[in-house]
Amino acid sequence: MILALVMAIATAAEAPLDDPRAEQRAQTLMREIRCVVCENEPVSQSTADVARDMRRLIREQIAEGATNAEVRDYFSDRYGDFVLFRPRADGARVLIWGFPLILLLGGAVVLGMRAMRMRRKDLAPVGDDRDAAS
Amino acid sequence: MIAEIGHLLAFLAFASALSQVWFGFTGGGETVKRAAVGTFALTVAAFLLLIVGFVTLDFSMELVAKHSHSAKPLLYRISGAWGNHEGSMLMWCVIMAGYGGVAALTMRADALKERALGVQGALTAASMAYLLFASSPFARLDPAPLDGSGLNPLLQDPALAAHPPFLYLGYVGFSFVFSLAAAGLMLGVIDRDWAKRTRPWALAAWSALTVGIAIGSIWAYYELGWGGWWFWDPVENASFMPWLVGAALVHSLIVTHKRGGMAAWTVFLAVLAFLLSLLGAFLVRSGVLTSVHAFAVDPQRGMLLLSGLAVAGGVAFGLYAWRAPLLKSGEPFDPVSREGALIFNNLCLAVAAGSVMFGTLLPLAAQIWGLTISVGEPWFEFALGPMLGALFLILPMAQGSTWARTEPAPILKRLIVAAVLAVGAGVLAFVLYRQSPWLAPGLAVGVWLVAGVVTDVARRVGPGGISRLFKLSSAVWGMTIAHLGLGVFVIGAVGEHAGRFEQTFVAEPGDEFTFRGMQFRFEGAKAAEGPNYTADQATIEWIRDGGVVTLRPERRLYPASGTPTTEVAIRKTIAGDVYVALGDPIRDRPGAWSMRVSHHPMIDWVFGGALLIAVGGFVSLFSLRRRATREASETETGDRAQQGSPGAAAETPLGQSAGQAGGQPATREVST
Repeated sequence: MILALVMAIATAAEAPLDDPRAEQRAQTLMREIRCVVCENEPVSQSTADVARDMRRLIREQIAEGATNAEVRDYFSDRYGDFVLFRPRADGARVLIWGFPLILLLGGAVVLGMRAMRMRRKDLAPVGDDRDAAS
Repeated sequence: MIAEIGHLLAFLAFASALSQVWFGFTGGGETVKRAAVGTFALTVAAFLLLIVGFVTLDFSMELVAKHSHSAKPLLYRISGAWGNHEGSMLMWCVIMAGYGGVAALTMRADALKERALGVQGALTAASMAYLLFASSPFARLDPAPLDGSGLNPLLQDPALAAHPPFLYLGYVGFSFVFSLAAAGLMLGVIDRDWAKRTRPWALAAWSALTVGIAIGSIWAYYELGWGGWWFWDPVENASFMPWLVGAALVHSLIVTHKRGGMAAWTVFLAVLAFLLSLLGAFLVRSGVLTSVHAFAVDPQRGMLLLSGLAVAGGVAFGLYAWRAPLLKSGEPFDPVSREGALIFNNLCLAVAAGSVMFGTLLPLAAQIWGLTISVGEPWFEFALGPMLGALFLILPMAQGSTWARTEPAPILKRLIVAAVLAVGAGVLAFVLYRQSPWLAPGLAVGVWLVAGVVTDVARRVGPGGISRLFKLSSAVWGMTIAHLGLGVFVIGAVGEHAGRFEQTFVAEPGDEFTFRGMQFRFEGAKAAEGPNYTADQATIEWIRDGGVVTLRPERRLYPASGTPTTEVAIRKTIAGDVYVALGDPIRDRPGAWSMRVSHHPMIDWVFGGALLIAVGGFVSLFSLRRRATREASETETGDRAQQGSPGAAAETPLGQSAGQAGGQPATREVST
């Protein structure tokens, strides 16, 4: 059955959605849903039949009025979180998204506290000597 | 015979590298210099013999049989020598020994040089041992096959012939920065003179890495057929991490050179850049990653590389923990100063590197706990966008700043025009293209960078006019070109990201179709023949007002390896690239093909910007070399013609540094 479905799609054109905004959204989603048979490629880049099938499913759902989150859920329900290049941000996984911010804030606080202690209004500015080096 | 002589030369290079270690650590003086040059010469000779084997198609060599073919054009026979694991490892050794050899010939003779060449010898010897005992490129095959099985056709491309040498000049170039850091820590001379002598090596490695990454990106854009130029692929990230740390390093080295500050942090980055290069080598070669780039999937090699990484890291950080607390602090400074701005630069770049590492390794770590998770473009954009945005906001202000303490008001006043232009561009982008969230802030930042660079050059030129433009030092030009390239890159990256659009069509010969208001006609596809491949070549006419443009995308099949590849047709226009990739023939409809047409606005800004960054790095490197030569020839001049008070004020530290360099050997300053 699946095979028949895939073969039917292989001959069909990948027509874009009529609404350019919806098509843009669909293409964005295609870049963040991972092809399940390829090596590290989103479905937008793959020539595999499965990827073509997934692209069609994305367009169909967008055309039916699905939100981006609903489209993502549709694929992760079937293939697991593996297909999401945009990792989920629920529960403990919010840390995945928070990590860069925590790192930045940590560094900024350490440096900021040092900077507070280091205020030196008395120093004379020293110019950038490269002006004179010619 | 070629293989045996090559193998022998590689052994001799290994022995020479060991002698380099011995003399480097026992104060061998001139001898360590000769050993380093000898190691380099021997590795080059071994590598040339490998290339000879590839060019003469000696299929009794296992590597040639596996990776070459009689129908292959000469250029790719040569590049085949490094288009595989073993050959590229030999190139790694050549470049590592090469940095040692060039340093032996150009650096001022003293204890730092000797010891750094010794450490470089140890790194080279370890790499040669790995080459000889775990991945020899000179293995024989008996009986020899009649023909080879060919190079991966994706790699049969001029850009991919040049990509690995540049990438390795970068990756491996950080090995000598590492050696200087380790030697400096051992001798306790991480000071201004150390930073001054390390800067050219860091700039050389980092600029070459920039070129290597840019070439790889250009190749991915036109060869892989998707029209993307960066995929946040783990192997790309493996090169991006040392790039980010290298960028932080070339900036922090300026602080250590000019003011003696940030010494401990700078030396930490110098160690880290090479360790990240090793991590990259491990990720690419061990098979822990599945990627289009990964080759030589072999767990044993992976373990060896990981052990090498652990030993190098352990020794270096042990040394660091022991010696770094003893380093002297530099000149005092207020947080609002050039030092402060460069520390902010380093914070952003280091956190960016840490984030890239986290996003790259997380899926691997998750696998250990049985979880599958993917981290891709959306996460990396979220993680790096704001951070780099903040860095780029500060940059134009930092360019006008002064050391020790900066008066912000005049700088901000000069930048008003730049700020107005940036905000204007952002607002315009927001009004016109509301659907892409990154465009408005990204474009504003890009314009801010470019306008900031122009403002800075205008300030340095002063009211004197255009003629003074040519009197600016090459150091200023290096910085200006690199920062201008960054602005151009940012504008291109956000523009391409927001504006790219693609569509797939199915057409029979004679069919017309419209893409983004452009009219195309598919004329059909026919068989074509290349030197070592067969192809289906399509003819697609792009019908414009002024005439017809013919595009000929191909699908190639390389029989030697049986792999198909796409050759896209790209037409450059002012508004960006029109990009056509031929898809598959359609079953049941003879003559009909699918094809993917896409539009990539501003793509040349992306690559042009990246290459400008590299050019800026090389110009800075050139200016440092030139200045070093001049200081050596005219010691104690100290009072070059000055124009304007900032220059005069700055002469003091520079004069000191020249005196220091020319006067006593740096080893006297051991802080222990």
